[in-house]
Amino acid sequence: MKFGIFYEISVPRPWGPTTEYEVYQNCLEQARLADELGFDQVWAVEHHFLEEYSHCSAPEIFLTAVAMQTKNIRIGRGIVVCVPQFNNPIKAAEVAATMDLVSGGRLEFGTGRSATWTELGGFGADPDETKKTWDEWTRIIPKMWTQERFGYEGRAFSMPQRTILPKPLQKPHPPMWVAVTSPGTELDAADRGMGSLGLTFGGFKEQEKKIAEYRRRIKYCDPVGSFVNEQVNTVNFLMCHPDLQYGAKAGQRLAGTFNYMAEQLLAARQAYPTRSYPNLGLLPALRREATSSPEGQIPEGLAIGNPDRIVEVIKNWESVGVDRINFLLNAAETIPQQEVLDSMRLFAKEVMPKFADKKSPVAAGTAAGGD
Amino acid sequence: MPLVGTRELAAFDSGPLLTEPEGERWELPGCSILQVMYEIDASAVTSLLPPALHPTVPPTVVLTITNVPESPAGAFAMAEARIACRSGARPRGLLIGGFCSTEQAAKMLAARWGYPMKVGDVQLAKRYDRVVGKVEAGGSTVLETTLLNPEPIAGNDIQYLASLNVAKIRRDGATLPRLVQVDPDYVFRSADRGKPELSAFDAPAFGLAGAIPVWPVSASHCVADITMPELRYLVDPARPPLTSVEQL
Repeated sequence: MKFGIFYEISVPRPWGPTTEYEVYQNCLEQARLADELGFDQVWAVEHHFLEEYSHCSAPEIFLTAVAMQTKNIRIGRGIVVCVPQFNNPIKAAEVAATMDLVSGGRLEFGTGRSATWTELGGFGADPDETKKTWDEWTRIIPKMWTQERFGYEGRAFSMPQRTILPKPLQKPHPPMWVAVTSPGTELDAADRGMGSLGLTFGGFKEQEKKIAEYRRRIKYCDPVGSFVNEQVNTVNFLMCHPDLQYGAKAGQRLAGTFNYMAEQLLAARQAYPTRSYPNLGLLPALRREATSSPEGQIPEGLAIGNPDRIVEVIKNWESVGVDRINFLLNAAETIPQQEVLDSMRLFAKEVMPKFADKKSPVAAGTAAGGD
Repeated sequence: MPLVGTRELAAFDSGPLLTEPEGERWELPGCSILQVMYEIDASAVTSLLPPALHPTVPPTVVLTITNVPESPAGAFAMAEARIACRSGARPRGLLIGGFCSTEQAAKMLAARWGYPMKVGDVQLAKRYDRVVGKVEAGGSTVLETTLLNPEPIAGNDIQYLASLNVAKIRRDGATLPRLVQVDPDYVFRSADRGKPELSAFDAPAFGLAGAIPVWPVSASHCVADITMPELRYLVDPARPPLTSVEQL
């Protein structure tokens, strides 16, 4: 089991002249501490226009700053929006390769397609097209990294032969992931030999079934990259405190704030009738888990409370087949920065050793099924 | 925390009195529903909502024209212009004023579900190339909107917002302004979507002065059986979002 941290970078109103600066500095401080404490990875989303919920529109810049201030922690671009109105696949490949070079080969490359009308409408993207362009891009980007010259004639993207530079440090290329929010996307990940960046959640039993099916399907995959990245990565909240009730209460406040901000946005499905978005995006299952427990009870799957409780929760996730857990540490700065740092330290001291991985870290090309 | 409405509470005193909140459900077979969504100018959005509600990001107006071929009030058509919003974390559409084609239906909808309806000429016409909704009242066209080039979709791909109707209730001898939550059930028979067009929208006629549609989002049309529900929740427009919801 590996542990990471996951950033939406939410910035609460009122917005003063330095509010965003302070939140970004807090996140960088947390990332530095995570590296010191032995967390394995730090992920940052790409979102646009999502007031308060996420001010992380240039994650490649944030993650490069993280890479420059850390030594070992892997940096997760989570995710590149594979929609032409948002990004260009050539530029995405170039930026990712550069991040991999300057970080010393620490990049994890997540892919996805956005889930809100707030963003899709803002960029003028067609919600019916996003799954198709995502599928096309995930097949061409690894070739841009690995082929000396690349040319392509496709449905939504074409280019004449060019040498796309630079090439990533990790050979053959960084591990590739898919953000999973809609039901069935974990199977898309399996069929393409990609890691499941599990922004989904759900109860333990539901997740166990999904993971078993992912593992079964990926055995027969047609990988989009040069190797298979068979890993299941989930997202959770973290609030680890010596006092169970305090930790649980603060953690529920964190989860509740996150959910509340997410609900103010306009999901693609709420605005535009389409089969392409069967779910109300932005971590819907995680938010459902955070708010579904009866009053007074701690949601069973959330890593909040004291170290003993969090160990039990993570053992349950481990038992259903999860390989990695990424933690949201804060939402709208509802937890004071010192408490966030203390929570990380306590987690590293009391919880992480119980899950010490005897295997060496997964690197490009060495994941299950790799070349 | 998210923005909240700043509209003066006097605007929420104009609704009808909810006199029959515990009446029968209505089963409305074969209704035809045109729904068009537009983004509205963001600068005015908090001035359209009460302190109990958050605007969506981005702010939108949802225009709905429903043709009801049979009901306890007879056949009627109604037109609503609602501001999409959030009651706490829940998606809702605030209805301050609308139009209904018959006085009988307007009175019954007001008494039973708090619909704030004036009488107007509400028309909904479905053709093969378009669906057109039009409302005339007071000698002028207050709404004309069109779905162009319909293409079939699954009915379940359409999302309808629960309404918060501006109304009044009687409680302990007092008459109080409240937003009445109405969340009908839909069983779809057919559905289409298409390109939205808006050729007339008199926002003040719907109680939404300042709501300026600026960007088309979507248009859908369906034929569905509607069940008008039991009422369960009210919102006190004056209270903050997290403490504004009440049981009826």
